[in-house]
Amino acid sequence: MKYSVLFIASILIAAVFIAGCTQQPATQQPSTTQGVIKIGVIASLTGPASNVGTNMWQSAQVAADKINADGGVTLKDGSKAQLKLIVGDDESTQQGGQKAATKLITDDKVDILVGGYSSAVTSAYEQTIAEYKVPYIVTGASSPIITHRTDIDTSYIFHHCPTTDTYGQYTTMFIDQVIRPAVNKKLGAPADRPFRLALLYQDTAFGKGIQTAVNDTITKNNLNIILVSQQSFRMGESDFRTPLTAIKAANPDAVYLGAFPNEGAPIITQARRDIGLNTIFLNAENNDNAQFYKDIGQYGEGAVIESRYSPYIAPVGAVADAQNAFKQSYFARFGTYPDMMGASTYEGIFIAAKAIENAGITDKQAVRQALVTLKMPEIVEAMKDKTISFSPDFRESTFDLWMEQLSYNATLGETRPVIVWPDNLKTANFILPSWYVAGSSS
Amino acid sequence: MDNLGVFLQIIFWGLYAGCIYILLATGLNLIFGVMKIVNFAHGEFLMIGAYITATIFFLTGINPYLIILLSMLALIGIGALVERICFRPILGTGKLNEIFLSIGLIYIFQNGAALIWTDNWQSVKSPYDGITLPIGSLNVPLDYILIMVFTAAIICGLYLFLKKTRTGMQMRATSQNRKGAMLVGIDVERIDVISFGLGCALAAAAGTLWIVSGQIFNPYMGSIPAVKAFAIIILGGLGSIPGAIIGGLLMGLAENGAAFLLGGIWKDAISFVILIIVLVVRPTGLFGEKGE
Repeated sequence: MKYSVLFIASILIAAVFIAGCTQQPATQQPSTTQGVIKIGVIASLTGPASNVGTNMWQSAQVAADKINADGGVTLKDGSKAQLKLIVGDDESTQQGGQKAATKLITDDKVDILVGGYSSAVTSAYEQTIAEYKVPYIVTGASSPIITHRTDIDTSYIFHHCPTTDTYGQYTTMFIDQVIRPAVNKKLGAPADRPFRLALLYQDTAFGKGIQTAVNDTITKNNLNIILVSQQSFRMGESDFRTPLTAIKAANPDAVYLGAFPNEGAPIITQARRDIGLNTIFLNAENNDNAQFYKDIGQYGEGAVIESRYSPYIAPVGAVADAQNAFKQSYFARFGTYPDMMGASTYEGIFIAAKAIENAGITDKQAVRQALVTLKMPEIVEAMKDKTISFSPDFRESTFDLWMEQLSYNATLGETRPVIVWPDNLKTANFILPSWYVAGSSS
Repeated sequence: MDNLGVFLQIIFWGLYAGCIYILLATGLNLIFGVMKIVNFAHGEFLMIGAYITATIFFLTGINPYLIILLSMLALIGIGALVERICFRPILGTGKLNEIFLSIGLIYIFQNGAALIWTDNWQSVKSPYDGITLPIGSLNVPLDYILIMVFTAAIICGLYLFLKKTRTGMQMRATSQNRKGAMLVGIDVERIDVISFGLGCALAAAAGTLWIVSGQIFNPYMGSIPAVKAFAIIILGGLGSIPGAIIGGLLMGLAENGAAFLLGGIWKDAISFVILIIVLVVRPTGLFGEKGE
């Protein structure tokens, strides 16, 4: 029997090793098709992230359709070029991402890449991007390491989605400025009462990024927030009762989740239904999608999501009409509504087209330089100074974020969001639910 | 919540997780005990059972605890078919064939389920959602009590079947000595089909109870539980049903204890730490017999 176990283990290790040896270095040839700009879209069409990946790919198609219908991209010689999208399925895995990126670059010979969701998957094939020097607009992976890492050349990679640094910081400031005073008021406590925050985060670059951002924000701004419990979980976990029991024992005033939608919804459901942890749950922006609202049901009441695009609400201001137009175009073609990663991928296609237009040619170095100097009006998401541009240091665009609070709609059987922060975008005020139980140090 | 309350709560979550593992591992051990085949696709039968229950529930609204019987019956049929078409032709041709056949089945079942049901995350709402029972210092959701009761009932039913029925005795005889069973006139191929079907039915029960507890699911839900089920049957002793039960409970308690004391990332690792320790001390597993 012992030999059987050893034999099985050897076979599995060999299979993993063989699967990992599939990188195919090759010399890249220039694109030869006249009048067509090839854009590779890397998305998770299969595997655990397929829900988000499909949305990204479909949003890219809506964008390309619109650009092509408007005449396409004008090049330096005055000719018009149509966009041709080619999708690469990263299979929600690092090996799948490596295969997809290599195929798009070497076989399909794309002019530019857009997409990428999981930070772990995206970072796995960045070496290939660096090797072939193909401009890549990342629209889903949120870890800052995507453009901050120094072990490879990331100069061709541009980050068009907020990083965990940004939304960790943003959410922590919201807690300090909005939730902390509300809890003190409910308790009749003095203003200097420390706020008791717990963290429950995915043990990946994404989750750890949020944990680091919260800790750094508290320290740098000397906030009156103490972290009473910091629990982690494996990516894809579905049973969170034990870490939630530990968190409840720490008596938190609120719990910040560094989780994907397929984790965030069960965490909150299990916390409120099974553990009796009746507190405010704060979620990262990737949870703001229709499936999350469906899965979380009535247990989402009172929860907060940091966001920049919601399927169910738009901020006060100019982007509301643009968001509605995008949602309707998407619905007309696919019968559902786009989510946040879809929105940034939709914009990613416009950014790619604009950069090529500014460069006037599809030469990759020229397109990269056009992205460096890019300044274009915001499209469907609210941007800082209403302009899409990339920072000179790490090539990151800057979004205007907001915080939403969910309230239960019994007719729909789901929660719906209102924007509660900041003041210039909000549609309602933050409220502590009647069932909310504040933490205590006893 | 006081320290005793926290401790009891962690034990309770461990028992709940153990119930799912017991059903999955017992089914796997039943198949291994009789046929001596390695089936890495066993977790996919859990997934199919979960989807059958969910589909019937979404279409009819029938109480999912009642659908568990239909799901188990369906998996007996599917299991018998898989045994007949896939495993019987390669029986005795070497472990390598079994391993790669079962790995192939994983992909076929996962992609087939994704085609039929999509690979979006889904959830089922129990009719007892939100109902809790006070047990000592704990306030326990009714669903978890029901899950433990159903697990105990299914295992007791299996025990009675194996001990009291003629077919059950033939299965035990085949498990103990396949050639001997053939010599005394037992139709071992018929026993193989029944064992494989029953093992899959137990996986279907595990899948149903998994989703009734409020956990979300998709076509890839069975992969990790299957690996853990293998660890459990090696831990408990290959072919030993009591070993699978004790191993399943031990695994559930250890995982939740480790997640609480060491952090969530140790939840999966602790299973294999225990497995390695047990194998070093007792290579045949807790309840395994020499020579197995």
